[in-house]
Amino acid sequence: MNGALIFAFNNEQIDYVRMAAWSARSIHRHLDIPVCLVTDVKVDDTVFDRVVQTAAGVSTSRHFSDFGTNVIWHNGSRANAYELSPWDTTLVLDADYVVASNNLATLFELDQDFLAHNHAYDVTGRNDFSGLNCFGRHRMPMWWATVMMFRRSKQAELIFDSMTMIRDNWQHYRNLYGNSQGTFRNDHALTIALGIVDGHTLDHSAIPWSLASLTPEHELQQTDADTFRVDFTTDNNKSKWIELCGQDFHAMGKKTLGDIVASTC
Amino acid sequence: MPVLAERGYLIPAVNTDTVDYLTCAVQLAKSIRQWHPTANISVVTVGNYEDPVFDHVIALPYGDLGGYVNDWQMFAASPYRQTIKLEADMIAASPIDHWWTLFEHRDVVISQGCRNFYDQPAQSRFYRKIFDSNQLPDVYNAITYWRLSHTAKEFFDLVRSIFENWNRFKKLLKFAEEEPSTDVVYAIAALIIGPEQVTLPAGLGPNMVHMKRHIIGTGSNDWTQELVWELTNPGVRINTVAQWGLFHYQVKDWLQ
Repeated sequence: MNGALIFAFNNEQIDYVRMAAWSARSIHRHLDIPVCLVTDVKVDDTVFDRVVQTAAGVSTSRHFSDFGTNVIWHNGSRANAYELSPWDTTLVLDADYVVASNNLATLFELDQDFLAHNHAYDVTGRNDFSGLNCFGRHRMPMWWATVMMFRRSKQAELIFDSMTMIRDNWQHYRNLYGNSQGTFRNDHALTIALGIVDGHTLDHSAIPWSLASLTPEHELQQTDADTFRVDFTTDNNKSKWIELCGQDFHAMGKKTLGDIVASTC
Repeated sequence: MPVLAERGYLIPAVNTDTVDYLTCAVQLAKSIRQWHPTANISVVTVGNYEDPVFDHVIALPYGDLGGYVNDWQMFAASPYRQTIKLEADMIAASPIDHWWTLFEHRDVVISQGCRNFYDQPAQSRFYRKIFDSNQLPDVYNAITYWRLSHTAKEFFDLVRSIFENWNRFKKLLKFAEEEPSTDVVYAIAALIIGPEQVTLPAGLGPNMVHMKRHIIGTGSNDWTQELVWELTNPGVRINTVAQWGLFHYQVKDWLQ
């Protein structure tokens, strides 16, 4: 059975569970698959087909520019996706990934055991993502853990086992890859894990399109069910906007997405 | 030089006061043999030298003319009907014998472009200003194939002529080097003979991993002190990433 898996561990600033519920409705509507929530609190919302309660695990502090402060980030349990998922083929999505089309349904049809994005871009074209598409002092090309598709298979199991090992020995891997960021990130762990599993070749299968992303400094408004308006400022201080219609995207600014979720749920 | 075999690798290696190119050539030959134990490999050098890793040790036919200028002699020195000439300070990080199939329908193939250790095309043009300013083809002589042919003879005759008449050729170039480098000479020769005659379409042929500072983004020229490297025998990994094709390590004493 195909299904989605969303990790949502609330902190003082962000209600990820509510965000996940909002996302689950879109997933049902566009992908027609059940949604499993992984969280550390009791959730009664019937929008979720399954709820798996588990400890938040490793937590770190990370600066969120849209909140202007450091927040506690409970992101350590993503490596447990393989054991926590109730589905045969699982689509792991960040709670802040906006599903506005049925594009992701294509991934279930591909003959691959594991897929993730290896390239992200700013939908406004304002930010150069070359620095975000890699990590570490020597710019290791990065795979994004925002969207992952995996099937029950030896390869997927090894990838998640490796992510767990990397998470549990983060200081070592941080040193090895010259990573100045102290905060553990699933993107980094996934990249390193893919290297281990695929013989350090960087030859990993990737989702065959890039990850559309919206950075926190841009304003986001929902104008219709699957239509969003993005307001941004150009280099010469001119205000511009674009409309995203039927376009999935990663809302990196949790605050604006949180406001949309709060106003619609 | 009479033809002694159909295909073989040829490594020019003349020691200088500061660089032991012969030891580099031995390391390169050993790395090729790890992947291809029966490969034909010859070294071109000066003086008496023997090492069983080479099938033939060949003296420069016209003697040591000094530095890069010797390069045009490789055509006459090769004992092979089809030759892949390789610069000495490289190692084979993966099998390379599929190149023969790629090259065999051409008379001359000079490699184009280079890669960083993530197998990404080099973005920096820091070392290629003279090429860009003069619209020269982006060739690297480090990997050059030829078969005995009129085209190859014409190409190496041109290379000789450019080396020997550098004072005249350099006047044609913006930002010309005082002493010619082999890559620039090859690029001029390719331009004269027609780049399509001596290169494969961009992105098709093999090129090398180039461990120069501005290409790989290290803080210093000596990447061996900055990056994690592992000789996996056969092969090499840089910052855990497995390398493939030819790995141009630059730091000449890395393996010595």
